[in-house]
Amino acid sequence: MSELFSTLSLYLSRSFVVNALIVGVLIALCSSLLGVTLVLKRYSFIGDGLSHVAFGAMAVAAVLGLTNNMPLVLTITVLCAVLLLRMGKNAKIKGDAAIAMISVGSLAIGYLLMNIFGTGSSNLSGDVCSTLFGSTSILTLSDFDVWMCIVLSVIVVLFFVLFYNKIFSVTFDESFARATGQRAGLYNLMIAIVIAVIIVVSMQLVGSLLISALVIFPALSAMRVFKSFKSVTVCAAIVSVFCALIGLLTSILAGTPVGSTIVAVDIVVFVIFFIIGAFTKGRKA
Amino acid sequence: MITSLAACGGNAQSGASSSPTEAGKETESVGAEAEKTGAPADGVDIDLTAMSGTMVYSEVLNMQKTPEAYEGKVVKMSGPFNVTDYNGKTYFACIIADATACCSTGIEFDLKGDHSYPEDYPAPQTEITVVGVFNTYMEGKSRYLQLKDAEMIA
Repeated sequence: MSELFSTLSLYLSRSFVVNALIVGVLIALCSSLLGVTLVLKRYSFIGDGLSHVAFGAMAVAAVLGLTNNMPLVLTITVLCAVLLLRMGKNAKIKGDAAIAMISVGSLAIGYLLMNIFGTGSSNLSGDVCSTLFGSTSILTLSDFDVWMCIVLSVIVVLFFVLFYNKIFSVTFDESFARATGQRAGLYNLMIAIVIAVIIVVSMQLVGSLLISALVIFPALSAMRVFKSFKSVTVCAAIVSVFCALIGLLTSILAGTPVGSTIVAVDIVVFVIFFIIGAFTKGRKA
Repeated sequence: MITSLAACGGNAQSGASSSPTEAGKETESVGAEAEKTGAPADGVDIDLTAMSGTMVYSEVLNMQKTPEAYEGKVVKMSGPFNVTDYNGKTYFACIIADATACCSTGIEFDLKGDHSYPEDYPAPQTEITVVGVFNTYMEGKSRYLQLKDAEMIA
């Protein structure tokens, strides 16, 4: 046991590990806050779709040889989030079909561009693998990445706290919110933008294929045990941060892939909460 | 522009056969401060052999991203031995793979003293342990990573 702690202590002396823990906790917190809203609004897969858009945008940035791809990826993903929301309401291609179309389209075009034009390195499969599964990207963050993540996380948390009541009302009954004069469209738009920001930031932690897990698992786990919006949100945030920390530490200690390990911890916690939920429900009955 | 060995496909040999230029992964230096690594009693500043797979791969990627932070440090690493011939020169490297098993990367080393290949080197893909001083050098327009004055201890 003491050997484990001395190894952990050695790893924690590396600044890139500390950066990874800070960014991991922030990403987990942000993704869980909006995760509850997404699950309740049946938008679980918008995260998956937008993460593929972000992958396509990263491919464009790589082809253009941009050292810092975050601004471009963020802009394209936010635009697609807004587009998806607008298309969902008015266009001929609606909802899930629009998400699926943009999702697979971005993934395919991104990979195609990387193959045709290259990425500035001959390590194409490695770049794709790292982007899709986030193999070690969170452990190789630059100072700019860390600060960008901190700023974006503060914005997301502030948005959630300041607009908590509005988010609550458009989540549970959008029609009622509209009838009572609330600008549901505007709040939906803001939620879509914030989701896009979370997706782009989260890609560094678990990769674009595993982001949905980070968004939905904590919310679903919390919903097994708690019933009110507030308690589910608080529990989801705690669960998400806990899983990210345990997953990251397990990954660096055991040498397993970061993204997959965090998602595996999320699954284990979901099973535990499912059992607790079934047990407490049975006692009440 | 920093270049070092990098490969994919879960097989170090696939990248090992490439020249440093062909298989180079280009990253930008972002100018990090030198890190406190703790100096073990044997004089090794960064002992990659004592780290998990995820940590080793991340550490080497960080060496590629911010080589200034590692310049002059004594690094110990182990992995399959790799030989690459490029433009009439022979390069020797130690390869490491990432945790997802889809990528591998490596660091070139230059043994201390006079040595000739293949007499003084093991067969390619033999597991080796190398200790050397982290260094970067320019060749053409590319900057390469290297462990200079290296010793093969296993």
